[in-house]
Amino acid sequence: MGIAQVHLTVVTPAGEQTFRVPAGTSVRDALDLTELRVRAACGGSGGCGACGVTLIGGAVTPPTTAEYMKLQPAERACGVRLACQMRLQGDALVRIDDPAPPSQWRSIPPEELIPSPGALPELPQHVYGVAVDLGTTHIRLALWNRKTGQRMATRRGPNPQGGFGADVLNRLSAAHGNPARAAELAKLARTAIVQAVRDILKRDVGEVTPMLKEIGEVIIVGNTAMLALLSGHGGAALLDPDHWAGRIDCQPTDRTAFQAQWFMPHATIHLVDSVAGFIGSDLLADLLATRLTDGPAGALLLDVGTNTEIALWDGTRLHVTAVPGGPAFEGVGLRNGMAAETGAIYRVCRPVSADISFETVAGTPARGFCGSGLVDAVAVLLATGQLKPSGRFAVSPGPDGFLLDPANLCTALFSQDIDTFQRAKAATAAAMVALLERAGLGWTDITRLCVCGAFGHRLDVANAQAVGLLPPLNPACIELFADASLAGAEIGLLQPAGAAVFAALGERVAAINLAQVSDYDDRYIDHLRLRPIDINRKV
Amino acid sequence: MLDRIIRDYNEAVFETDKDAAFEVVNNALANGLSAEDVVFKVVIPAVEVMMSDITRDPDANLAQHFMTAQIAAEVTEKMLTKFVHPPEIIGRVVIGTAAGDLHSLGKRIVMGCLKALMVEVVDLGVNVPAEKFVTEAVHYGADVIAISAMMVHTATGENGARKVRALLKEQGLEHQIRIVVGGAPYRFDNELYKTVGADGWAADGIAAGKMIVDLIRAGKTS
Repeated sequence: MGIAQVHLTVVTPAGEQTFRVPAGTSVRDALDLTELRVRAACGGSGGCGACGVTLIGGAVTPPTTAEYMKLQPAERACGVRLACQMRLQGDALVRIDDPAPPSQWRSIPPEELIPSPGALPELPQHVYGVAVDLGTTHIRLALWNRKTGQRMATRRGPNPQGGFGADVLNRLSAAHGNPARAAELAKLARTAIVQAVRDILKRDVGEVTPMLKEIGEVIIVGNTAMLALLSGHGGAALLDPDHWAGRIDCQPTDRTAFQAQWFMPHATIHLVDSVAGFIGSDLLADLLATRLTDGPAGALLLDVGTNTEIALWDGTRLHVTAVPGGPAFEGVGLRNGMAAETGAIYRVCRPVSADISFETVAGTPARGFCGSGLVDAVAVLLATGQLKPSGRFAVSPGPDGFLLDPANLCTALFSQDIDTFQRAKAATAAAMVALLERAGLGWTDITRLCVCGAFGHRLDVANAQAVGLLPPLNPACIELFADASLAGAEIGLLQPAGAAVFAALGERVAAINLAQVSDYDDRYIDHLRLRPIDINRKV
Repeated sequence: MLDRIIRDYNEAVFETDKDAAFEVVNNALANGLSAEDVVFKVVIPAVEVMMSDITRDPDANLAQHFMTAQIAAEVTEKMLTKFVHPPEIIGRVVIGTAAGDLHSLGKRIVMGCLKALMVEVVDLGVNVPAEKFVTEAVHYGADVIAISAMMVHTATGENGARKVRALLKEQGLEHQIRIVVGGAPYRFDNELYKTVGADGWAADGIAAGKMIVDLIRAGKTS
């Protein structure tokens, strides 16, 4: 087991909530993972004194020097502490009388981040840099001091273009032939990115506008559709299948306007070119972060998301493809779907007695399912016989759906959710098979399988294997990565060679368009059933 | 014996278990049932049951549609090779997705059902230019051109069904060859098929199979 978990209960004017966090976490860091936040302006150094909370009781670290300097004796006598200084040693209860307004931007849990090693660039000025993973459903970014190699803070939040379609084609279609709407979509993504940066500067650094001027580079990786919608360029080409074999130019034509919109006059805004068709630069970033091509042949990388991307390393070439996996794995498109945030069911356990139990993010009451919770739920219901391999419930669940917790309607799964899941996992599995076939390899040749993207660290590999999402290979060769695309973007930001690292990888790539693979549809239909992938069958 | 075969086959189809369905059929053949009887007494009635089930259950699972249509198509194709006399074909359809559209799966369901219903299907693939729909329809003597379009711009665009209609008109083929369309945009707007110049549409692949058979029959009798 890892670090001991403790419970933090927070009382606000809106009510009471309890979160489960690792022991040793500061109250501020614990809250930055949720929608409930303390006021802050210094980055948690104890320098601004804005994050005062009242400790009602519990096991916490004693007051620090910063707290003696920033808090009045009378305040301290009433139990006021600085949330950034006070660390949880056991369960604790605090009160926040004046919480910060809720934000859709959350810190990425530190255990998900991949260290970004290596030499740093020589920089005389504008030393700050931002790495961005622009996903269809979520945006992740990190602010770096490129000179010292320090990651200052991270944020994760929803891509606000979601209202124009959950999947990439609908969103591209919305912008197609409608310049005003295309401009609106571009503005939404651009505003979201700069808002996340401003959120970091305001809360973790303490000053915004002067710091924006010190940002020297913004590097953005993403799938081709997201890059096209951000730049406002390339979307029309992407909707035309005749262009899918090659690279699509998604570079912005309004670079200076872009810098001006963001108030970053010194920033080079770098959209990393995608590979071909819908295969984006987020896949290149994954490849950098996992060092897939540094190892032997038979290494497969799966970036699960709304636009799922797959790469297979055969020792000399990278065979890559993209498939509309569907947003189900990101918790979108399900009746009770949600991102892996507070209250999301991320794990469902096989029943020991009669009841199915589950765990939620931060241990709060269940609000819905995230991707890994959906995989678990399907696998567990299949194992108990409540769900059949066809995807039908053994007994029709009725209008309220199948309730994991009969007392909580947010734990309901519906027939359509199972259908959405089946189609997403079949597309993923069939695309992997198509790549293996193209490379002349079989499942048993796979020595390493890196699973990146939506599931993060939370995927239960055995359950994913039981339902046919992942092949039943030895679990020792399956590695889970959270935020690998962001880590790859960070490598691009920090390496002295800069974004050239992406171009070098791109040269080894052979892209496959699944629409041109004649038996892809047959394979897709074969993989719709809820059953393990047959790895001994010749692909 | 036939009742048990039908029951076992329907059970296998309901469970979307292709291996089990083939086992039932192979056992039936081994026990002396003819390939013709398998198709006409087992497979086609099962497709019809499936159609009526789906009209009754609007929430029916799309994954199950794909799998059941695939089983029907594969079993029928295998049986056709074993027919003593070449099967009597109701009619012929050329099918493909509209120019710019690569969504092939709706088309798959339609093809599976049509094959099981004794309609010959020529698959023109995806991203099919309007000209090709027409030249291939003429080449194969097709009764129907079926165009699948899953996106608004491919359903309503100038290079899709509209252009096929214009070409048929230009070449005086309008009364010989019907156009049918399918795909999500037509479900959202039930009159859209008329706007783009089609003769019919269906909400899902299985209903499309029935609609096409009806159109062919109507065309032959008129």
